[in-house]
Amino acid sequence: MYDVYIRKGYRFRMAGTPSKELVSLSDPAQLAFLPEKIPYVKPRLKVAEQDRVKIGSILFEDKHNPAIKFLSPAGGVVSKIQFGPRRVVEAIIVDRDCDNEQSVTFSSVSPQDLNELSREAVVDHILKGGLWWTFRQLPFRRIPDPRQKPPAIIVSLCAKEPFQPQPEVYLRDRADLMSYGLKILDKLAQGQVMVFSDGNQPAQGHDPWLTHRVFGDYPADDPGTLLYHIKKSADQNRAWTIGGQDLLLLAQFLSRGKYPVDRIVSVGGGKAPTPRHYHTRLGVPLRHLVDADALDDDVRFVAGGLLRGYGSTAEGFMGHYETSLNLISRGDRAEFLALFNPGIDKPTYSRTFLSRLNPGNLNYTCNIHGERRACIACLHCADVCPVDILPHMAYKAICADEIEESLEHGLLDCVECGLCSYVCPSKIELSRTFMAAKAAYAKEQAE
Amino acid sequence: MNPIHRLFLSQRKRFEPGGRLARWQPFFKSIENVFFGTAEITTQSPHPRDSLSVQRYMMLVIMAVLPCLFFGMYNVGLQAFLAAGRQPDLWPMFWLGTRTVMPLVLISYLFGFGWEIIFSTIRKHPISEGVFVTAILFPLTLPPTIPWWQAALGISFGVVIGKEVFGGTGRNFLNPALTGRAFLYFAYPVQMSGDAVWTVVASKGAQAVDAMTTATPLVVALAAPETGLVEKTLSKAGFDGWTLFLGLYPDSIGASSTLLCLLGAAALVIMGVASYRIILGDIIGIIGMGYALNWLAGNGAMPYLSLNPWYHLLMGGTAFGIAFMSTDPVSAPDTHAARWIYGICIGVLTVLIRAFNPAYPEGIMLAILFMNVFAPLIDHMVVRGKIRKRIPNV
Repeated sequence: MYDVYIRKGYRFRMAGTPSKELVSLSDPAQLAFLPEKIPYVKPRLKVAEQDRVKIGSILFEDKHNPAIKFLSPAGGVVSKIQFGPRRVVEAIIVDRDCDNEQSVTFSSVSPQDLNELSREAVVDHILKGGLWWTFRQLPFRRIPDPRQKPPAIIVSLCAKEPFQPQPEVYLRDRADLMSYGLKILDKLAQGQVMVFSDGNQPAQGHDPWLTHRVFGDYPADDPGTLLYHIKKSADQNRAWTIGGQDLLLLAQFLSRGKYPVDRIVSVGGGKAPTPRHYHTRLGVPLRHLVDADALDDDVRFVAGGLLRGYGSTAEGFMGHYETSLNLISRGDRAEFLALFNPGIDKPTYSRTFLSRLNPGNLNYTCNIHGERRACIACLHCADVCPVDILPHMAYKAICADEIEESLEHGLLDCVECGLCSYVCPSKIELSRTFMAAKAAYAKEQAE
Repeated sequence: MNPIHRLFLSQRKRFEPGGRLARWQPFFKSIENVFFGTAEITTQSPHPRDSLSVQRYMMLVIMAVLPCLFFGMYNVGLQAFLAAGRQPDLWPMFWLGTRTVMPLVLISYLFGFGWEIIFSTIRKHPISEGVFVTAILFPLTLPPTIPWWQAALGISFGVVIGKEVFGGTGRNFLNPALTGRAFLYFAYPVQMSGDAVWTVVASKGAQAVDAMTTATPLVVALAAPETGLVEKTLSKAGFDGWTLFLGLYPDSIGASSTLLCLLGAAALVIMGVASYRIILGDIIGIIGMGYALNWLAGNGAMPYLSLNPWYHLLMGGTAFGIAFMSTDPVSAPDTHAARWIYGICIGVLTVLIRAFNPAYPEGIMLAILFMNVFAPLIDHMVVRGKIRKRIPNV
């Protein structure tokens, strides 16, 4: 096991950390698949409204690669297919048959069978089971081409973004499943599997799996961050990753022969009435996780972490890659004399507020706290970037259409953690710009 | 609702598109920003944002400079009383200083802010807060007796040519306050010459204010008769180490007190606003070069070369330049490593100009402006080095 120290990053001291308590929720009446939240996939719908589906029936496939299928997380009737601007498929909503939910059966693979299966057979099995989406390929975090072999697969068993489910909670009593999952990965990556956890937390029996311990603040939990710090050559850049919970889904599918639908979701943030973990299902409606009527108006629903997740309304659903719901104050009120506030409770990366001396947790809001200005080269973004990009320079290169230069700066190493945008006093949308530039480059490469 | 809030709310519609004063919205916004934070919220991830804004960044710099301004008012009065041979008396002294200094500060704000409003309005850009810093730094580098029209001209040149023509704060490559000062320095050497400084004199009669000149410590030091006697010569002229450190001698309005510049710089470094790398680099450059010159000093060489290097930090505007001018993040290089090099070069050049260029007894202003021009080059080299170390990812 190797220890990796990541010096840069940021530790949020945010109120509303989910407690480690795990509460099982009853199944909701509706579940959804949000194709829009799966990047780089162009859905070809295989169902229409009012069609009956089972758990594991096909909902849509990727037009670019029809082998990649996406299956229904619920059994019942497709009640609505929501389209957005330019007919982007936003959501496929399924009304669940509450008393008699049917499920498609697949063949199961026992650990002994797995040893005998070829790599291709395992890949085929996962493709058929519609779980290929659990893999993502760096640096674009798109679903990898099943025909390719990964240079490595990286599994993160830590969670540092505010807030994500703690591995300790979702691995509780599921150690066997995890071990099985890692065997599957071994098969796929031919031994090149890396598993890492947070070095600062006491080991919770994960030790036998780990290859690395990572010490550092957010986003040291990201596989991309680890890869940047340990890679020896450019061949490793296209490594695959899989989320800890997604690996459990994969293992569950292979061992039981049923499309898995379990999800452990954390609910946190300053506005969450009871921040804790919930055992629920994939594609759960947000309203099912929190009593939205009991909240006041000043709240934003964020599906996913606060740095990377998407804003939603209470009527929204959880995307397949998202595993947390965070509620924070909108903060859309102009504060009187904010400029002169010593700021004992103002969260900041800089040292310009007294909050640096305040040991307590702080209340974060969605207020921008300033106006868009030109870059003044404060270098906060360069200080915080976990992969040593000079974000202010890479940004200028992108603005000047110098894509080559931005790539030299390490644009593709960007883990899209959002810290550069977070710290910027000029309120420049750095990480959004990088994500857009990366997406444009990915498109260009695909052609 | 707070009455100020009500006032802004009632006036806002006049400045919004379609209103009678819509053209002046940047002006309205900049005033509103002083009283109120923004109500704007993020629309996409990352959802929370840091509480620090450029406004606060600049406001903190202004706070750090204020002690120098108040000290300047006091010192101008004190030197005037001493020159007139009058008994020092705190309040009349301070009042005389205020009367001399405040108009310059006001002129600086009026013209600096005025140009910024004009350019912002034409460009339809928000007013950037950088100009508030420029407008307070600029008058502090001037002699107290400078004619008002020259102060107006200087700040106009600094803001317009030093900054606005390149696109405003953040896009300028020269420090605007120093650009303005350098303009006056070369255009009007009579009022700005580095070898003598004009002291306001408080006369007793009806004619309240007059002026006289005295040699600055820099000139006194240059004129030292013999190697090893520089400090003594300074001391004899009334510039012993403590006087220089505290700044109680006739000099530019706010630049004389090394102590207050040190405190201001310390505050800015603690808050992370000023780069400690630049400041330490400056000091290392000055002290290092100072000792190197000591080494050259001796028989037949200029006596000035034997000056104790620490005196370079005490005399003239070095401390002010280091604390507030060289640390301007926009005109400094944009990488940490380059900032070390930048600082050291400024220090070395300052001492070299002081020692070997008798036409310019003060070197810090020229050194900073010179290095401003070279900042992108140092950046380029540092960035190349960094890129070479990366494992490529394309």
